[in-house]
Amino acid sequence: MVESETLGETLQRRGFSRRSLLKFAIAMTSSLALPPSVAPLMAANLARARRRSVIWLSFQECTGCLETLLRSSSPTIDALIFDFISLDYQEALMAAAGTAAERTLREAVAANKGEYLLAIDGSIPTKDGGVYSLTGGRSNHDMLMEFAADAKAVLAIGTCAAYGGIPKAFPNPTGAVGVEDLVTDKPIVNIPGCPPVPEVLSGVLVHFISFGKLPDLDDRKRPLAYFGTTIHDQCYRRPFYDQGKFAKSFDDEGARQGWCLFELGCKGPITHNACASLKWNGGTSFPIESGHGCIGCSEPDFWDKGSFYTSLAGGSATGWRNAGLAAAVGIASGAAAALSSKLRAEPAKPRPENKP
Amino acid sequence: MTDLASLADDGLVDALLMEVAAMLGRLVDKGETASIDLRGLPLSFSCIANLEQRLGRGEILVQLDAAGRSELRETAFPGVWWTQHCDEAGRVIAMLIEVNTIPDILRADPIDMAASLRRLAGVTHHAAFRQASHA
Repeated sequence: MVESETLGETLQRRGFSRRSLLKFAIAMTSSLALPPSVAPLMAANLARARRRSVIWLSFQECTGCLETLLRSSSPTIDALIFDFISLDYQEALMAAAGTAAERTLREAVAANKGEYLLAIDGSIPTKDGGVYSLTGGRSNHDMLMEFAADAKAVLAIGTCAAYGGIPKAFPNPTGAVGVEDLVTDKPIVNIPGCPPVPEVLSGVLVHFISFGKLPDLDDRKRPLAYFGTTIHDQCYRRPFYDQGKFAKSFDDEGARQGWCLFELGCKGPITHNACASLKWNGGTSFPIESGHGCIGCSEPDFWDKGSFYTSLAGGSATGWRNAGLAAAVGIASGAAAALSSKLRAEPAKPRPENKP
Repeated sequence: MTDLASLADDGLVDALLMEVAAMLGRLVDKGETASIDLRGLPLSFSCIANLEQRLGRGEILVQLDAAGRSELRETAFPGVWWTQHCDEAGRVIAMLIEVNTIPDILRADPIDMAASLRRLAGVTHHAAFRQASHA
């Protein structure tokens, strides 16, 4: 793509019609829970927009977040949007290494000072001066603080970057923390998940490029459109929960009938994410549809909340004695769902610090 | 599905049809267009099928091939369209009820038309050159 081109010009040069862009905007407004009437405005803004610099730093992580984002089943128009972002620094993807890579990073920051988006995956170790994760001899902590200072906003991608994730799990030997524990003076968007749903990152980027601001966020700095409801509230097995029909083991008759996995440890009632609506592998399915309960990977401290196979009521598929507690959790989650619906209907204004 | 769930589905479909009627009224009276994002609502597959059946099929079916297939179908109620957009992998990325004389996406964009005029000028120029060289 020619650096000075607008997205509209790029599309035209590649033989894409404006209908393609409008169609993409229709899909994105739906994904972002915006009214369909906003789509033409989004398409027009995208057509006028120019390339936005993204600097991506990987800290204490497993590269699973990057893997899932690269393997998202993106339609061509979606790929164009990612083309439209100038990924100026990403250690795993870039050809440059060593001092050449460091020079690239400095140049990208200098050229886009105050305008680039800083994407972080992985937690930040803070114990013993942060020696547990270094890049070019510099601690993750020092790099984060330096490059966040000149960023327009920081995207914390994955549960590790958002809340510390698995590195933070007890006993947290490296003193791992999330981005928001250290960066307090910049707009932050948390996109948690282990790994995160790739379409959520697309949605955040498109919203930022087309409207020049971050989408509305919840109290944990997550995009409200994707994290406004629980997995439980969107789950196709929810009617079985309401009817008190629970699988007792992974191979019993209830499991074969597709009954609720609550008693097998499903964390859907307390987990906010978009898996049940956007699904995985090109919309094929999500864990519950494949017969396993949600493990709550997009929530803080999910690794320390007990066994994945212990129900939220405290049992381990021990039969109907948990039904009373299940009902209590159901009532509570119902109330939370009602509140959540209200929040979706009347999205909370983003806090001032979340406006770039 | 239990009778209770069916009853809830019917209620949702009735509510949506009333909303569509109100939207169509505004289109007739004020020329105001509107649409409903069906994927943004907690509708079951059976509920969507029920809604689609009750809206019925009209005279127009348009297939659009732009970054994947789209199908735009007029319902039995002129001015009310059932629209489904898919990506290139065939995955549904948007499903809408549009209340409009014709869905906006079908109209040719001025920028696309300007580009096609330039291309067409090139084609006609070549045709004129060919005719001149044969003469």
